[in-house]
Amino acid sequence: MSDNLMTYCSSCAMPSTRPRITYHEDGICNACLWAREKKSIIDWDVRWKELEGYAEQLRRKGPGFDVIVPVSGGKDSCYVAYRMKHDLGLNPLLVHIEPPLPFELGNRNLDKLIAAGYDCIKVAPNPSVMRRIARREMIDFGDPLLCWMIPVRAVLFRIAIQFGIRWIMWGEDGEVEYGGLSHSKHNPIHDREYELRYLLSGNDPRKYLDEFTEDQLGFWLLPSQEEYENAGIVNMHMNYFDAWDPYRNYMVAKEKFGLEEKKGRNIGTYTNFAQTDSAMFDLHCYLMYLKFGFGRCTADACIDVRRGALDREQAVELIRKYDNAYPEPFIDLYLDYMQMTREEFEAALDKHANKRLFHKVDGRWAPLFEVR
Amino acid sequence: MLAIVDYQMGNIHSLGNALAFLGCEARVSRDPEVLLAADKLILPGVGAFDAAMRNLREFGLVDVLDEAVRRRGTPVLGVCVGMQIMASRGTENGFSEGLGWIDGAVEVITPTVIGTRVPHVGFNEVRFAAGNNDVVGDFAKPTDFYFVHSYHMVCSDPADRVGAVSYGGQELTAMVRRDNVLGVQFHPEKSQSNGLKLLGAFLRC
Amino acid sequence: MLKKRLIFTLLYCDGGYVLSRNFRLQTVGDLAWLRENYDFDAIAQSIDELVVLDVSRGERDTAAFAEHLKELSASYFLPIAAGGGLRSLEDGYRLLAANADKLVVNSPIIDNPALVRTLAQTFGSQSVVASVDCRKTEAGYRVFIHNGETDSGLDVAAAVSRATELGVGEIYLTAIDKDGTGFGYDGELAVQAAAATRLPIILSGGVGRYQHFCDGLAIEGISGASTANIYNFIVGGLSRARTHIAARDIPMAAWDFNLAALRGTANKEST
Repeated sequence: MSDNLMTYCSSCAMPSTRPRITYHEDGICNACLWAREKKSIIDWDVRWKELEGYAEQLRRKGPGFDVIVPVSGGKDSCYVAYRMKHDLGLNPLLVHIEPPLPFELGNRNLDKLIAAGYDCIKVAPNPSVMRRIARREMIDFGDPLLCWMIPVRAVLFRIAIQFGIRWIMWGEDGEVEYGGLSHSKHNPIHDREYELRYLLSGNDPRKYLDEFTEDQLGFWLLPSQEEYENAGIVNMHMNYFDAWDPYRNYMVAKEKFGLEEKKGRNIGTYTNFAQTDSAMFDLHCYLMYLKFGFGRCTADACIDVRRGALDREQAVELIRKYDNAYPEPFIDLYLDYMQMTREEFEAALDKHANKRLFHKVDGRWAPLFEVR
Repeated sequence: MLAIVDYQMGNIHSLGNALAFLGCEARVSRDPEVLLAADKLILPGVGAFDAAMRNLREFGLVDVLDEAVRRRGTPVLGVCVGMQIMASRGTENGFSEGLGWIDGAVEVITPTVIGTRVPHVGFNEVRFAAGNNDVVGDFAKPTDFYFVHSYHMVCSDPADRVGAVSYGGQELTAMVRRDNVLGVQFHPEKSQSNGLKLLGAFLRC
Repeated sequence: MLKKRLIFTLLYCDGGYVLSRNFRLQTVGDLAWLRENYDFDAIAQSIDELVVLDVSRGERDTAAFAEHLKELSASYFLPIAAGGGLRSLEDGYRLLAANADKLVVNSPIIDNPALVRTLAQTFGSQSVVASVDCRKTEAGYRVFIHNGETDSGLDVAAAVSRATELGVGEIYLTAIDKDGTGFGYDGELAVQAAAATRLPIILSGGVGRYQHFCDGLAIEGISGASTANIYNFIVGGLSRARTHIAARDIPMAAWDFNLAALRGTANKEST
């Protein structure tokens, strides 16, 4: 086993293969540095006041909605919705975009959130288009979940424009919280360009026009930069205003809305309360693992390390145990959804597996590296 | 053959497991014939002094044990309450007479250090008197054993106390020995490898 | 001097183990899972005590639980406390016959004090542990029973005093709000409970990483620190936790981790 295939953050266990991650003195990653800054130099009272200022400035002048909150019904969206409504006294419009291969549990949690007294628009982008894009991106980009990640953005912007609601409030910018760019830690606004280039990894849905008509892609194509600017959309992330803590969000969602967890742990990790709305997320994580050498457990364990609930060496044990998880229970679902044969599916995995990090053992990709 | 005296005073299975682990298949019995034929006895016990003596009497074992231990000189190991009832008398739930193999009384722990918690629960260091190498030769330094008790034995003859433990400003009796009678206040079967070493030594001596 | 205790708590539910977060249960695995994911022979030598609690939500099957306990514990030589759903003296006998040394009682302290008293009189105070589950409310720490669902109407001091009067020998104190969170123990709760009794107190609820044990054991009157976080301490986490604690001037018992070497040595000549 080779020693230096991967380098890891000295504080959490996020590897250098995470896109755009940066390392600082003592070998700590930007997410850990930020986690420390959150506890030390950031004055959260000042930032909350800033949010109240935005609320004054951006809220409706007449009847209607003040802010759009994208929701899955999971812990983070519950948290943002709650704070917007109860702590800022705003009238939020929740927007939900149905994911591929939804779990019953995700729907139940969403219904509980809405039932607590919210308005919600549920959008179901054309499922036959979604399937085909999932299949295409499984093969081309190695992430079928793009079929949903794109319409999440496009639909939100469309609704903002249609309803004349300028303000959109997301949960966290994962780049800052979990490793990646640090641009948005001192700026609450991230624009259309940032969404497209980084959060969608440069996957401009216009590329699908070679296969679909513009009509078919109505919920995929982003409004143009001009439309976006003319509508005066202010696209924000909550983690600028609030010391983001996914576990705290989970506890709030549980207490305020009765959020339910899965019975057992999710595939590829030890937790049961995050990302429980779509079976496609499990494949997304597995492909992330094959491409970058870190999976869902790394993501979860690093969050626990940063919030002080786990020592690094405990995290490493968990990661060694759970990261490499072929999502076996859902394979038939995936094949059916993406209309693939097992061979095509495996070929897509093979195509995207990082051959520097993995080799095949008994037909499955096994790591050549050891997490340490 | 080693016999564990079964007089319905608590956890004899753990002792049996520990002995089995060491390679000794003990008989668990209250049959006088078995107890008299045994070449070693273990008198276990979890619970109260008075209840333990009552059970021994009810099963008619007081005379049997006296015969085996006092007359025939069968080596015996008392554990926890099994050790306490070797004393002349106990005061738990009122006065009761003990087996009287060791002169002394079993009294409630009365710490002199304020804030000391009773019962005395957990691992604590036992210091052994010189000259018991057959049983405690493995322990050159004070050694940790698991205690869980609210009463302790006060020996009339200090020479009988061959192991002591400090608690709450007092020196409590941790091990007693007189001739073929050996007793430990702690639980060797619950004291990890330290306890198994002691049990092993008892089996060999 | 009396050593501090590092305690592992296994939560048993309908035949398997679970992870509890604020008393909501996540299915984990069965005994085979435990042996596969924990170096349990080593772990059982790295802790001072094992607590096994039946937290099954429906009707509890104490006989099945006792069988499970027996299978789990046969070759480990450390104190074991077991309980959860104890309803009779007979249940107590059953668990003690399955290698338990102590019985853990929770709801009966409030709704069946006679049982607690009987257990303490029959098996001795040192064999009965009162488990006290607390939730922080505006009125202070309140004690909840029935898996944390029913407000007992007592605050922590009152419940601990009652348990003490009923003759139990130890308190196993759990902060429901911290349970499973990894935020660390509720220190204030520990202080309040310690002031209300002279019994030894075991802290539970909140441990995520090694240092949390030390924080708990540093509190005046706290004898033991427990975790039930079955994922955080996977494989060899508890062995390392023990090393961590002992290195920080907290008195911990010492023994050789060589049980296997002692197997079958009964008849060998001592060297």
